[in-house]
Amino acid sequence: MELALEEVILTRKKWSLCARGIFSEGIHLITGRVGSGKSTLAQAIAGLLKPGSGNIAYHGIYRRTLSMQFPEYHTTGHLVRDEIRSWGLEPERICMEAGLTGRAHERSFDLSRGELKRLHMSCILAGTWDLLILDEPLSTLDPVWKHRMCRKIHAHHPPITLLFTHEQAVLPRVDYLWEIRGGCLHALGPVPEAIPSWQGAPRYIEEVLNYGVVPDNITLEDAKEALCRMHA
Amino acid sequence: MIVCTGLAFRTIAIRDLSIPSGHTCVIGPNGSGKSTLLSLLAGIEMPEQGRITIDGETPRRTDVGWVGEFPEDNLIFRTVRNEIASALRFRHLPDEELEPRIGQALRDIGCEYLLDARCKELSGGEKALVVLAAALAIRPKVLVLDEIDSHLDRSTAEDVQQILPSLSCMHVLQSTQNMDTAAGADNLIYLEEGQVRYFGSPEDIFPNLEDTPFYPTLWRFAAWSSHLKR
Repeated sequence: MELALEEVILTRKKWSLCARGIFSEGIHLITGRVGSGKSTLAQAIAGLLKPGSGNIAYHGIYRRTLSMQFPEYHTTGHLVRDEIRSWGLEPERICMEAGLTGRAHERSFDLSRGELKRLHMSCILAGTWDLLILDEPLSTLDPVWKHRMCRKIHAHHPPITLLFTHEQAVLPRVDYLWEIRGGCLHALGPVPEAIPSWQGAPRYIEEVLNYGVVPDNITLEDAKEALCRMHA
Repeated sequence: MIVCTGLAFRTIAIRDLSIPSGHTCVIGPNGSGKSTLLSLLAGIEMPEQGRITIDGETPRRTDVGWVGEFPEDNLIFRTVRNEIASALRFRHLPDEELEPRIGQALRDIGCEYLLDARCKELSGGEKALVVLAAALAIRPKVLVLDEIDSHLDRSTAEDVQQILPSLSCMHVLQSTQNMDTAAGADNLIYLEEGQVRYFGSPEDIFPNLEDTPFYPTLWRFAAWSSHLKR
């Protein structure tokens, strides 16, 4: 199973983004600056936008979905339980997963934004997908839930998971790093080899690299382990 | 000084809170009332009980710049130029003052290149920056930022944080889920279930949160680093 971007070019007036590369099975982290085209690329891979040229090939991928940056875009159910049922899921279980036990009867838009994000992410992670595209899955979550969501993503991720984010403090362990810069998507490679060339790395990764060591992965715990290794 | 007395609204219940001028970050778990408190302080919502004064005036009699958590909800006009101009036109500023103020607001946040862009073609982060520029254009006494950094990459978020002290606003009130950002504020409010659990400087408050994920990542990293050096 793999996703192939074949000389893809996405354009909008004067702006363009070129993307080529193979996304094999694993968790892929894609970073880039504001306006670099992360969400546009995510939508194109999900099939919501047609590339100006090139082709997106889905080899062995039959079920794919996109989680958009803003959870309110996904919300169709008036009540929390309606929203969960709209995904074909059982309200009680998902409410428990989302830390919303006993709140199935509440209106979806009465939830805080972070709670709505938890609800949406719990629904999407309960599905069965070959390719899951997550656009800013951690934004608006508090630090406790960022950690929980990272663990959930790592434990339940589909064969190919693309994680578009600029989160800097709490990240899941990933398999591959990609970065959008200068109008192109760059494959930095597998982790940990790719970490030193990651320009948008969180500050704690930069600090570890400045000590001359490369962490095994990109979480804060990996950075701590690398520091310990250096001092051992 | 912002003074809240006997404040009650939805889940918010704050008996007494006095916020000195400067940069104040509001932190806390999802659903703790951060956005609700900010909307009360901005005068968007009116308290069911109690009162809020900002240097003796009510929030609705104070110039407040508002950057909400849903940037799209703040964008009304087709182009960035008209979006930022609208904040000034609603205040009946003469036309000749508009262009310099629009340009300055965009320059302040390093986004001059967006001047002629169409709002619907902006990325999520760019929308947040345009809303910020519109808020800055009115030169508000109080600037309220509701999780603006959740839409921004590290470099852009750091740029925004760097310009905040140079603004002429008496109060910058910001909610954030990035504790490293909160660590740079003058004051912190930690909300829990609508109540102020902690209020004070980051140096006073974060030690109470050291065993939780709310402790700043970079503080934790620095502590490990210095411990290992010893």
